[in-house]
Amino acid sequence: MWRGFSHLLKKDFRLMVSGKFFLLALLSLFLYSCYINFVFVNLDQEMYPVYLYDPQDKLPVNREYVTKLDSREALEAACKDQYSVGIDFSRDAPEVYLLSCGRETIDHYRMTWGEAILHGNADGHADRIGPYNKEMKNRREITAEFLFFELSAVGFLGLASMLFKEKQMGVIRVHGILPVCRPVFILSKLLLLLLSDLVFAILLTVINLGAAGAVQVLPDVLLQAGILSLIMALVGFLCAVKLPDFKQFSLFYLILAVFVTTPVFLAEQTGMKWKQIVYHPMYHLFKAMKAAYFSAPITKASYYLACLGAIILLFLLSYQTLNREIAKEG
Amino acid sequence: MEGLRYQLKSVRRDKMCILTFLLPVVVGIAVHLLSGVSFQSIGENTFGVWENHIDADTVEWLQANGTVAQYETLDELRAAVNEPSTQMIGVLQTENGIQTFISGDELEMNVRIADTLPQIYHNQAEALSATKTMIPAAANNDGVRSLLIVITLVTAMFMGCTFNAMNIISEKEDGIELINQVLPLTAKSYIIQKTLLGFIGGMLSTLITALICVRIEIEQILPFLLIVLLSAYISALIGLFIGYFSDGLMVGIVYIKIIMILFLAPPIFFYLTVSESSILFKLSYFLPSSATFYGIMDLLAGQTKALFPGITALFVHAILWSIVYVLLRKRSEQMHR
Repeated sequence: MWRGFSHLLKKDFRLMVSGKFFLLALLSLFLYSCYINFVFVNLDQEMYPVYLYDPQDKLPVNREYVTKLDSREALEAACKDQYSVGIDFSRDAPEVYLLSCGRETIDHYRMTWGEAILHGNADGHADRIGPYNKEMKNRREITAEFLFFELSAVGFLGLASMLFKEKQMGVIRVHGILPVCRPVFILSKLLLLLLSDLVFAILLTVINLGAAGAVQVLPDVLLQAGILSLIMALVGFLCAVKLPDFKQFSLFYLILAVFVTTPVFLAEQTGMKWKQIVYHPMYHLFKAMKAAYFSAPITKASYYLACLGAIILLFLLSYQTLNREIAKEG
Repeated sequence: MEGLRYQLKSVRRDKMCILTFLLPVVVGIAVHLLSGVSFQSIGENTFGVWENHIDADTVEWLQANGTVAQYETLDELRAAVNEPSTQMIGVLQTENGIQTFISGDELEMNVRIADTLPQIYHNQAEALSATKTMIPAAANNDGVRSLLIVITLVTAMFMGCTFNAMNIISEKEDGIELINQVLPLTAKSYIIQKTLLGFIGGMLSTLITALICVRIEIEQILPFLLIVLLSAYISALIGLFIGYFSDGLMVGIVYIKIIMILFLAPPIFFYLTVSESSILFKLSYFLPSSATFYGIMDLLAGQTKALFPGITALFVHAILWSIVYVLLRKRSEQMHR
């Protein structure tokens, strides 16, 4: 049996190479790393800028955050973005001027901020209690997201593209008469995909977190990546066996990418309160991945049991579907 | 017309294709029903406080400036402040005011707010002689909700592209492309037949989705229709391009993935982060989806400022890419002869 297994492995590996699977993964890796290092790390949101029109120089100092303007018109124009705050000191009583952004509390705070600047009340220092600075947090966060997205998409797509090719070549029919154990047929594909996903995870983490940061989180990350990779590959296998051709499968994939993963990102990234999201299974996988990147891995046994259960269930389903498909092929 | 009938016949057997066009509609219904989600809180300041250890008026003051979350223990509060996905500022009551703490990974804005909050709170009672002028917003826009709706709409339009690309690639694989070369089929009728299906599907799917989750004023129907029409056409055309350049399904999928990311990510990114007067924002009109995105976003907010540039940009894109595609096909036909 093991001789057959090694042959299967070799054959699947060759299929992956000829399907440009590895080239694709490398390209994605390059693309993601460029985005993280050149764009995402630099993203920030500035404090509300304050524009001051003060022809008689009544406000004593050039305070931080304050930009001086020459006319009331310029002040009103500068405040058009519904973000900036204007202070008009041309008359006796100063005026704080702003355009509402549509949210009551934000407007209230901007007004308060304008007054604080006017009265010189903008000093102080809050305690920092967290272990990361902004850049390190951003890197961990976005790496977790990309890895999640890539694993859920590639595991799914990679296995399916292999299987469809085999289907076209009639491999499934041939397997019906070969003395190869059928679970091994699934296992060899899973193993290869799992290995390539793990290598991808290691590379992505090392490139974007640096070697020192990566060593800390890698054990947990690899565990989560393994779980995700297995689940997605099995789902891909199931869909690929069930659906008649790759065209339908690719539409299905598009839906998965846009509608299954996007709500997860939205719910987790924006911190919005959305109670029903806990019923979304991918949400938990994503949370676990993120927790691993922040060195606070999930330790709940129920989560791991559920994952294990899902993997076993999916495997059995795949096995059964494959059997049925082979029977159908005669 | 005869050709279109054959195209429709080939699709009719494909139930999955029809389902795919219906899927954005289902998501539209879901977005529409998501009334229980508190989208409003996004973008607001969030303060975390220790329950029973803070004065009621402090909480009231904080609530005027943002949302306040209460935690039973100090550890829970610290954990919530440290949670990477939030920008929460921890607030503790002291003898003569408040004290703030943050995790240290927040955006510049939230760091400043946390730094200065105690002093602002302390001096709130100061005699304020300033007059306050607040110009109300033109329309009450429901930020993230309309963002979700627009993403759904743009994806619905994108379905036409995927459908066309897949259709052509699978025909290529089956050898129909070769048969087409010997058939008396002109480049024009081929393009029209191939574009039409994805175009109609994408447009119908977008319009039904829009009917479910967008309430549009009567005078805005025309610009909206124009945007949908042009965008669906462009997306169907992009499908033809993908079909032309890719020789296998796997390669096609990669192209679709790249185009999908290009279609959805930059408009959202530019819309949220780049100011409308900057050059970068204007450059983003080079992507057809940006024009669609800004246009619909504007319509949802009841404004019209991005409508004209958006529709013009879409128009230019539609004409330009049609010409490029026709030229490409002509060239390849000459090469085959």
